[in-house]
Amino acid sequence: SLTRQPEEVFDIICKLGEGSYGSVYKALHKESGQVLAIKQVPVDTDLQEIIKEISIMQQCDSPYVVKYYGSYFKNTDLWIVMEYCGAGSVSDIMRLRKKTLTEDEIATILSDTLKGLEYLHLRRKIHRDIKAGNILLNSEGHAKLADFGVAGQLTDTMAKRNTVIGTPFWMAPEVIQEIGYDCVADIWSLGITALEMAEGKPPYGDIHPMRAIFMIPTKPPPSFREPDKWSPEFIDFVSVCLVKNPEERASATDLLSHVFIGNAKLPSILSQMIQEAHEIRENQSYRNVSSTANIVGVRQNITEESDDEVALGNQTILPCTDEGTLVPGKGGTLLPVSQSGTLVELGTMVINSDVDEQTMKRHDTGSSQGGKKYRPLFLEHFDKKEAEGNGVVTPTTLDGPEIVPDEQRFQSHFHVQLNQVPSPQQAQPQEQKAQFHRPFSDGDFEFLKFLSFEELQQRMAKLDLDMEREIDELRRRYQIKRQPILDAMDTKRKRQQNF
Amino acid sequence: YFNPPRTTHYQPHSVLVPANPYLLEEIPHWLNVYFNASPDLDHKLKWDMFRLQDLDCYNGMLTRLYKQELQNIVMRYETYRSALLVEMEKFRNSRNGAVTGQ
Ligand SMILES: Nc1ncnc2c1ncn2[C@@H]1O[C@H](COP(=O)(O)OP(=O)(O)OP(=O)(O)O)[C@@H](O)[C@H]1O
Ligand SMILES: [Mg+2]
Repeated sequence: SLTRQPEEVFDIICKLGEGSYGSVYKALHKESGQVLAIKQVPVDTDLQEIIKEISIMQQCDSPYVVKYYGSYFKNTDLWIVMEYCGAGSVSDIMRLRKKTLTEDEIATILSDTLKGLEYLHLRRKIHRDIKAGNILLNSEGHAKLADFGVAGQLTDTMAKRNTVIGTPFWMAPEVIQEIGYDCVADIWSLGITALEMAEGKPPYGDIHPMRAIFMIPTKPPPSFREPDKWSPEFIDFVSVCLVKNPEERASATDLLSHVFIGNAKLPSILSQMIQEAHEIRENQSYRNVSSTANIVGVRQNITEESDDEVALGNQTILPCTDEGTLVPGKGGTLLPVSQSGTLVELGTMVINSDVDEQTMKRHDTGSSQGGKKYRPLFLEHFDKKEAEGNGVVTPTTLDGPEIVPDEQRFQSHFHVQLNQVPSPQQAQPQEQKAQFHRPFSDGDFEFLKFLSFEELQQRMAKLDLDMEREIDELRRRYQIKRQPILDAMDTKRKRQQNF
Repeated sequence: YFNPPRTTHYQPHSVLVPANPYLLEEIPHWLNVYFNASPDLDHKLKWDMFRLQDLDCYNGMLTRLYKQELQNIVMRYETYRSALLVEMEKFRNSRNGAVTGQ
């Protein structure tokens, strides 16, 4: 099907949305008059991933999984032709109606979703990106699994991929910890999705995704904010999905016989909801939401969304549906850090003997107390690791402070901080920019005692931005350091192919 | 249900996506130094002297170092956040105290 020009075959009707790979359009198949969805993906992005997505979709033939019809190359774009789901994604519907879903609606959607998951899991396919944004509804109210952007299968190449992928808030603890996982990782995400449909956002959805990533494996499984509002059956359903130990988590097949799913109504109960969403969509011409960020930073997403907060009775929810997918090691410009160190060559290896004094200085902003010789952080970290015995990198290092559970207050500050103009530091020339100064020195918070309430508030409001900036700097360093290794691997692979 | 601390890999026969193979591997000291050093002289390190599988390993380890440092940053700010909250709470308490004291 890759021979004819796609525009001869299809008429593009309108844009449906945008994702981390590309845009999705509604289209008409000229010959048959059938309405379809076409995902257009620029092929300079990771082609391997996309071709995998296509081949996995192609193998699937289930009424609970979005059907894939074929694909075309058009200039630099790959057109992926698939079944059109007229009502859009469940998160689209929540956002349009500015309403969360009722228990009956949730049970009906989950019932179809579980059938889709059972279909995939029996074939040993993991979806890996289950969330309300990837559950599509057709106009009859049937739910279908979409978006195998990161779906994987048991293949040789699978064994090679170990980097954390997926959307952080929905990710199972074992996926985050990289200790190996299988199909029940999707069941955890389904439990999170159930909470998302009930409450408008996933647990931790209003905190920085980087904090969430470390909380998910360490904290007890999340549950409802207001348990009184929900039936014991629903609460039980979510609690059997959100079991931290994957070996004890229910399978899709188990869950299909759960009483909450057994009581699910027919898809026709969703028609009013679908009709409402449809009317709203008609009334507002497509707004370019452009929340396609495939980056870790949530700032951009939240700022964009801050003007469409969803009113939920008297409580306000923030839609968190467009975080995109966490793709490590992409984006970001390389920024050289202007520092000098002396290099000493040891055989082929180059070791920077002065590194501890030279580059680690920034960790030592004033805390060199009482003649105690400064130890770089990473060495301390490894001392600790040694003391623990060659431990797995589980979040055991999270043993530090108790996280003060005050999300309510946090949330309000989060908004203030996100709407602030970028700090002047960002506007400064590169030399300055490369040296970010943490607003505190390690373990020494005495100075806070001398600040006014307003100063404390200001610091709190800036906290996430400061952290993000420091993370950005780290990410840049990681990319700079990794690139030569990747380049060398590339050259070697090419050389091997030539023999 | 309480999740006991894990000492071994989660590795039942059914696992589809294996654990990160570099999760338990000890990271050589020099790689640590390289990660933290100024990039100015990185070009002196001749990576093409290594075998492909070693490069793959160092790449995985570098990612681990990156994630460890990421965690350090997040946890440092977590401590800072709670310290700020403690100080702000003190203000709130003293304000309340002043009101009720009158
Ligand atoms: N088959 C389809 N039928 C109808 N609408 C669709 C279809 N596929 C996608 N859409 C719409 O297009 C939007 C973008 O979809 P896409 O899969 O590219 O990205 P996403 O799900 O938003 O993010 P991610 O790539 O991280 O999964 C969806 O939110 C949905 O509204
Ligand atoms: Mg999608």
